Amino acid sequence: MVSLWVYLVLAAALFSIGAFGVLARRNAIAILMGVELMLNAVNINLVAFWRFVRPDGGSENMFGQVFTVFVFVVAAAEVAVGLAIIISVYRSKRSVIAEEVDLLKW
Amino acid sequence: MVALSEFAPIGAMLLLAIVVGLLLLFISRILGPNKPTERKSAPYESGMKPIGPGTRRLPVRFYLIAVLFILFDIEVIFFLPWAVVFRKLGLFALVEMFIFIIILLVGYFYAWRKGALEWE
Amino acid sequence: MSEFDTLASYLSVAPEIGLTILLLIVLAFSVARREVERAAVPYIAGFGMIALAALPLIFAPGDANSTIPEGLYWGGMIRYDVLAQVFRVMILLAGGITALMASGVRGVGRRGEFYIVIIVATLGMSLMSASADLVMVFVALETTSIPLYILAAFKRDDTRSAESGIKYFLFGSFASAIMLYGLSLLYGFTGQTNIYQLAAFMGSDAFANNLVPVLASMVLVVVGFGFKVSAVPFHFWTPDVYEGAPTPVTGYVSVASKAASFALLVRFFVAVYPETLALSGESLQNFWIQLMAVFAVLSMTLGNVLALSQKNIKRLLAYSSIAQAGYTLIGVAAIQSQELSIASVGFYMFMYTFTNLAAFTVVILFSEATGSETIADLAGLNRRSPWLALAMTIALLSLAGIPPTAGFFGKFFVFNAAVRSGLTWLAVVGVLNAIVALYYYLVVIKVMYVDRSEDEDKPIPVGRQYVWVLWATSLIVIVLGTVGAQTVYDWAARGAMGLFT
Repeated sequence: MVSLWVYLVLAAALFSIGAFGVLARRNAIAILMGVELMLNAVNINLVAFWRFVRPDGGSENMFGQVFTVFVFVVAAAEVAVGLAIIISVYRSKRSVIAEEVDLLKW
Repeated sequence: MVALSEFAPIGAMLLLAIVVGLLLLFISRILGPNKPTERKSAPYESGMKPIGPGTRRLPVRFYLIAVLFILFDIEVIFFLPWAVVFRKLGLFALVEMFIFIIILLVGYFYAWRKGALEWE
Repeated sequence: MSEFDTLASYLSVAPEIGLTILLLIVLAFSVARREVERAAVPYIAGFGMIALAALPLIFAPGDANSTIPEGLYWGGMIRYDVLAQVFRVMILLAGGITALMASGVRGVGRRGEFYIVIIVATLGMSLMSASADLVMVFVALETTSIPLYILAAFKRDDTRSAESGIKYFLFGSFASAIMLYGLSLLYGFTGQTNIYQLAAFMGSDAFANNLVPVLASMVLVVVGFGFKVSAVPFHFWTPDVYEGAPTPVTGYVSVASKAASFALLVRFFVAVYPETLALSGESLQNFWIQLMAVFAVLSMTLGNVLALSQKNIKRLLAYSSIAQAGYTLIGVAAIQSQELSIASVGFYMFMYTFTNLAAFTVVILFSEATGSETIADLAGLNRRSPWLALAMTIALLSLAGIPPTAGFFGKFFVFNAAVRSGLTWLAVVGVLNAIVALYYYLVVIKVMYVDRSEDEDKPIPVGRQYVWVLWATSLIVIVLGTVGAQTVYDWAARGAMGLFT
């Protein structure tokens, strides 16, 4: 049987790729995709933990599964809102490149 | 309970990722020749000359429909855990689910009333 | 977990149920055919939320024999206690005031969706103040954040608003993804999601050598909270978002979202990384005390120093709010003084909520009348509208911490908690910062009262609802700074005691 650490490494790798995407990409949509990767990494983590780490060992404990369901419902809502905001920026600036969104400077 | 060893590979992975990433960037900067020509930087389309822009535009209406679809579609996932424990919770669960559906329906009628479902 | 008590369970989330019903009502009114009905939306939303603030007071959490005993509800999702009560009252009032504040703003006030989204955000914050489960923590945080992204980008025809929305969204979703990874690790360590059970599992012998992964989870979670309370070094978004967002939204983000985040932060850290939890002989509480102390110093110092050179009043208030988060973090870092610490955080947020809302109301009125947000343009405000100038002065003095305003007691309680828990140096840094901050607050007051302008004969028009808001917030600030301080502090202290039992 595949052991827990394999899943954890997969999740950590996916999370790192997502985080790298967020930090390195300039296109707002690509950044959003990076965030989605990070959330999916969390989902892998949660389901893997649920499968391997159940203190009472019974089938009653569904926390990990339920948590995952909530994570991807929230992720869908986040994408919907994020895309709407990106579209509204595109309409006014004709660009979705994060660096060109620079009216407000610190 | 989890043993420490289960988490150690994450640390090793992170370390390895950082080292390899930096190394690759460094090596390609030093060793790689960089002579871009027009042909080289053209997008590959089976040897053909590219026709038109690669990112073709779709009507923005699709986008609105897609977003509404995602939102209503994903809510169905909540029926799954509900169905699993339905027998145990009985009437209470049924009432709760009806409240959930009513709230969703209100959202749906709101979108309808606002004209989000009209194609034009 | 106690037996499922239906009545008490529903009453423990009474404000949330009320908000949902209010939401549906507002939704119906906002698509009404008659203009009169649509015009009523801001008032329904505003007074509705203010009325709902009474619910946590009516259905107060009590001892084991009362209708709603203090404790966990909904399978451990919600912990209803006095701390949740304090923060719910403050959040609901802030939501109501924001709705009233927004009613006269161009491009925002006439659109029903705005109030719908405000109500959803308030719902999320209300849940945040009572969350007791990792799932609930995440869902409540996102129920708060997602509406706030929409609100920041709300003025579709305004480029700055769209830009502030996208920045808030990109930073915010990144921070919450990092935090979520931390939460998933916490679940993985224990197989439990209830925050009150995590510590017991992590404290067991089998886990004693896992200091590093637990610390990693803590750091990941801190990133999320740091973002939400805009503590340095997670503050990059703050000035841009505050400047670009519609002003009522700025006011709302700066108070309610911060208050809810602090409520969740103290609950989370006291429960998950308590004093008793020690791995490899290291107390985890010491780690986060140090983290919070460092963030407090950085936030106060950077916030105040950068505020000194600001020309735009909204940016000034943005940096000032970073500094205010810093003062509140002193209260969090002073956790070893037990309830003194959390009570001071509660009181600070309570007074800061009304103080900042008063300041932002004046900014809204001024910029709606003149189209300007520049500090220099506030010149002669005293001669134009003396009451507005007075309300702004009260608010700024309170932010600076000058008696007889509430800010004085806010800072006093926080510094007191720091000294009692042996962090005297932190209190000293806080006092020094308060002196620096006094300068830029006084500059604004000076501009309003001393500087002259050509428009002095043009008073600022003030709508009826704004008169109410300004009177209410200013009175609360004064009352909290004089006779009411002890009452509210004792209330928060009772809430604090509930966290340690």
